[in-house]
Amino acid sequence: MLSEAELTALTASLVVGARAVAIGLPLAVATAWVLARGRFPGRTLLDALVHAPLVLPPVVVGYVLLLTFGVQGPIGRWLEAAFGTRLVFTSAGASLAAGVMAFPIMVRAVRLSLEAIDPGLELAARSLGARPLDRFFSITLPLAAPGVIAAAIVGFAACLGEFGAVITFAASVPGETQTLPLAIYGALQTPGGEAAALRLALLSLAIALGALLLADWLGRRARRWSARA
Amino acid sequence: MIEFDAGIAREAFRVDACFTAPAAATTALFGASGAGKSTLLALLAGALLPDRGRIVIDGEVVTDAERGVHVPLERRGIGWVFQDGRLFPHLDVDGNLGYGLARVPRTAPNRFARERVIEVLGLGALLGRWPRDLSGGERQRVAIGRALLAQPRLLLLDEPLAALDAPRRLEILGFLERARREFPLPMVYVTHSLAEVLRIADHLVLLERGQVVGAGAPADLAGRLDTPLLAGRADAGALLQARVAAHDRDGAATQLDLGGATLLTPPLDAAIGAPVRAYVLASEVMLATEEPRGLSVRNVLPATVLRLGTRADSTVMVELDCAGQRLLAAVSRGAVTDLRLEPGSAVYALVKSVSIDAPAGGRLSLEP
Repeated sequence: MLSEAELTALTASLVVGARAVAIGLPLAVATAWVLARGRFPGRTLLDALVHAPLVLPPVVVGYVLLLTFGVQGPIGRWLEAAFGTRLVFTSAGASLAAGVMAFPIMVRAVRLSLEAIDPGLELAARSLGARPLDRFFSITLPLAAPGVIAAAIVGFAACLGEFGAVITFAASVPGETQTLPLAIYGALQTPGGEAAALRLALLSLAIALGALLLADWLGRRARRWSARA
Repeated sequence: MIEFDAGIAREAFRVDACFTAPAAATTALFGASGAGKSTLLALLAGALLPDRGRIVIDGEVVTDAERGVHVPLERRGIGWVFQDGRLFPHLDVDGNLGYGLARVPRTAPNRFARERVIEVLGLGALLGRWPRDLSGGERQRVAIGRALLAQPRLLLLDEPLAALDAPRRLEILGFLERARREFPLPMVYVTHSLAEVLRIADHLVLLERGQVVGAGAPADLAGRLDTPLLAGRADAGALLQARVAAHDRDGAATQLDLGGATLLTPPLDAAIGAPVRAYVLASEVMLATEEPRGLSVRNVLPATVLRLGTRADSTVMVELDCAGQRLLAAVSRGAVTDLRLEPGSAVYALVKSVSIDAPAGGRLSLEP
């Protein structure tokens, strides 16, 4: 049903999205926690910075990544010198671009569920002898689970759909960085590629719908045990 | 033993208090809402830092604002039972009970065994259940058990009954009394309910506007006119220490010995010689200057007027000495004039009803 090229695009998408969420989610949880609980100068600035990809044109985000993580960029040059890794035009680079774009969505989902936790429960945990890190893993994180799960799924779906930042930073290398939207765009640029584009579009729709339904189902399951007593 | 002498001032509140709480006894912090009870508890727990003063628990200085000592809440060895239970919703009852126990330092002695706590608080049937499936009373029992299993050296109870209905309150009070007997540790019990104080407290600290206005044994404080916090209340009254003297042969009444005088109550399920607390509301006591006859009231006790105090509602509170114990009577101003009541007057106190806390548990409101 799907051609080899289309399957390659699907696999590339899944790999890019999974990697972006695997690395981005823990960072998103940490950032959400800092934003929800921290009281420090510069908190508003951090908040704005995290949310910037939501309001910037994706091309701009891709360009900024190119400037910093590109071969000539400060971090890019350091990565190459220290580990011999290049991000530009690689699958890892596509994950970085997609992950940065999905980051604010993930932070938001986690932060909302963190803010819904009764701080009294953490005080109770303190009185029972739980220190800060222990408290975070035994009380805060389990209670925020619905938000974390939602963040993972919605973040993954957002990564699959990211176009502008990925094509700017990682280009459209088939089998590496050519994710579904990039493959659709490529197919549309090819004479007679409409049928392939339609098939890929339907595939994207199916994955997105599946992800949203899964998020909803998992969220409802998780809420059942973390609902406030 | 707890020595508290600390103060904190914020925009919204100001608390500056000094009191001691005896070891292995229940100390009630009593006051109207906004009197600073919960703030005091948070200072004691270490959730708030005082601006001045120090707090000593069992000889260890846990807070000393001047010297910068502050043992954090999680290492203070304090059990805290909150008004709303605060069970962890993602853990079942068993998991909630084990939370504190699993975090007890290995060097600390386990004074309160898990099985014993479960038995005393009747938690055995609840272990596999989830907090959301528990009634309010069950949640508080689990919360008390969870706090005890953290092996605290001090248990704080912040209006643990406030969120419950009246029958549940009595039930939890019964469990608390059992826990108090079984697990000797100092408890600080915050409440604005006089009934709870009289039932459970060994020591009473009265708070008003963030300051201590009186401290002592509940029986001493309850019957005194110079504690306006108590004497001004509609449910003001006197707490009498009594012993069961005899049960009438036909089982129709029990005689209580007040240490000279005898008080009759409907039959109590208590052994001869058992100590009981009898609470007599001031509004349930009438006064007569001559021994009355032909009355349905059976408790007529000779007494001497000690003091008179006018209350806000312009009734007069009469403090009486009855066989060495204090009794309060609320009478009208006209009656004081007509009976020529003054300190030293000999009177008869007609006690219409008595509330008894028998050691066996059940609180009875009685009409002898």
